[in-house]
Amino acid sequence: MNRKLPFWRIPVIASFALFMMVPVAATGLFSISTRWDRTLWPESFTFMWWLKVMSHSAFFDTLLNSLWIAFLTVALSLILVVPTAFLTHTRLPQAKPFLEFLSIVPFCLPGVVLAISLIRLYSKVPLPLINTPNILIAAYVTITLPFMYRPVMNTLESLDILSLTEASETLGANSFQTFAFVVIPNIIRGVTSGSLLVFSAVFAEFVLANLLVGTRLKTFPIYLVEFTRLDARQASALSMLSFAIVWIITLSVLWIAARGRNASRERSHP
Amino acid sequence: MRRFSKRPFAIAIGLLPFATFVIAFEVLPVLNLVRSSITEDGSITIDNFSRALTPSIIDAFENSMKLSLFTAAIGTLYGAFVAYAIVTSKHFFTRNILAALANITANFGGAPLAFAFIIALGSTGFITILISYMGIDLYPGFRIYSIAGLALAYLYFQTPLAILLLMPAMHGLRPEWREAADVLGASGSFYWINVGIPVIAPALLSCFFLLFCNAFGAYATAWTLTGSDVNLVPIQIGALVRGEVKFDPALADVLAVLSLLIMAICLIAYQWLLSWSRLRA
Repeated sequence: MNRKLPFWRIPVIASFALFMMVPVAATGLFSISTRWDRTLWPESFTFMWWLKVMSHSAFFDTLLNSLWIAFLTVALSLILVVPTAFLTHTRLPQAKPFLEFLSIVPFCLPGVVLAISLIRLYSKVPLPLINTPNILIAAYVTITLPFMYRPVMNTLESLDILSLTEASETLGANSFQTFAFVVIPNIIRGVTSGSLLVFSAVFAEFVLANLLVGTRLKTFPIYLVEFTRLDARQASALSMLSFAIVWIITLSVLWIAARGRNASRERSHP
Repeated sequence: MRRFSKRPFAIAIGLLPFATFVIAFEVLPVLNLVRSSITEDGSITIDNFSRALTPSIIDAFENSMKLSLFTAAIGTLYGAFVAYAIVTSKHFFTRNILAALANITANFGGAPLAFAFIIALGSTGFITILISYMGIDLYPGFRIYSIAGLALAYLYFQTPLAILLLMPAMHGLRPEWREAADVLGASGSFYWINVGIPVIAPALLSCFFLLFCNAFGAYATAWTLTGSDVNLVPIQIGALVRGEVKFDPALADVLAVLSLLIMAICLIAYQWLLSWSRLRA
């Protein structure tokens, strides 16, 4: 039976698409216009703001800071989460609810609250933590736990891990070899999506960076916020850059996920 | 089939790094914060909490609650309509492009988003100018730098998040149920009241609580858009930590613990509703 679809579908979809695209499109247009505050359409176009903003040495410094912090966060998160998820899934499934809970809590832990509790606990401890990138990376790994844990656990649960490890051990591999050369290649899709999600969340993060290391180390989002108060046009070029980086990463996550779905469909229906 | 050999010691060693990390950077800091907020010189006290009853702090909680409730409610509702429209769409293109759009925009936020809204709806923004051509002056009645402007900016990341959270539930509304209702002569509203809404209600509510948390903790968007003009809890905590207004760490702790309490209630409600909706599915 072919139902008539409700009349409100088109306006709802159109308003959503418009609401989501207009602010981003406006930022892009603003970053290449000479002036756009008196007229409906930019007065004329220029790439000056993009060139200008990239000519500051602080631009590359902060971009580099954000990139290496994001890379280290992803690396630490992988080292902590992947083996733990594997061990829990295969050897200690009773502990899964704990893991689930620990990885949903950061979702509801406001950045300011995490920052202040870390400062309170570690400000008097003689460890190289407060005001160093170490504490920032630790905080980032904590708040992004759900982003890494969920995709990794999902792919683990979709596999027949038992047969895989048994086959590998029958062939004489030890536990480490099984994990590194059999399990990892099979869950690489979840590991990649998780890493990209963590990377994009960390790259654009402002609160924790500002409160934990803001005075010592400037990240790209901190630089961007400073610029919104100094120069609107250069800030819009920075915003576009930030949007574009997150955008590219999200699209690659979606692409990897879609490819994985197709691959598993082909496997199950040869 | 041979089961895995259980070697408790080896498993414990394997889980140790993660456990240590989570205890050190998630559990202990939060517990320590709660402890320090209710103790003073080693004895338990609620002095700090009674000190928090200043007009400015009550106002901050009121604003944060209003903003979070409003954007969570509207975001869930609007998101539900869009999610339903996406799921029932027959075009492959519409379905995938809109889902991708929701995926991308749910990650936007913070300074770039705030800035985009200033360009569009600031006092010299092009939408402000466009509307003024139609003879309506937005300013000074509406300001993007106010709590109403913030609500609009928050909806920008709340709506796509709601869509992502609600699409699975919308897939759960089987077309056959609707057809059965039609065949039996039920009207559209009868179907929704008796079948549709009861089926998606738990998902809607759990989505609402997660969106509430999301808005309550948001800081960067508010900070970039309004500085400290709009009195919100995260902004107050940030100012107290940095010692901008006055340096009062104990008061910051109390505000943080109070927000944790609100978040904990939401988290429990979210988890409970989620397991309830899974049970019924």
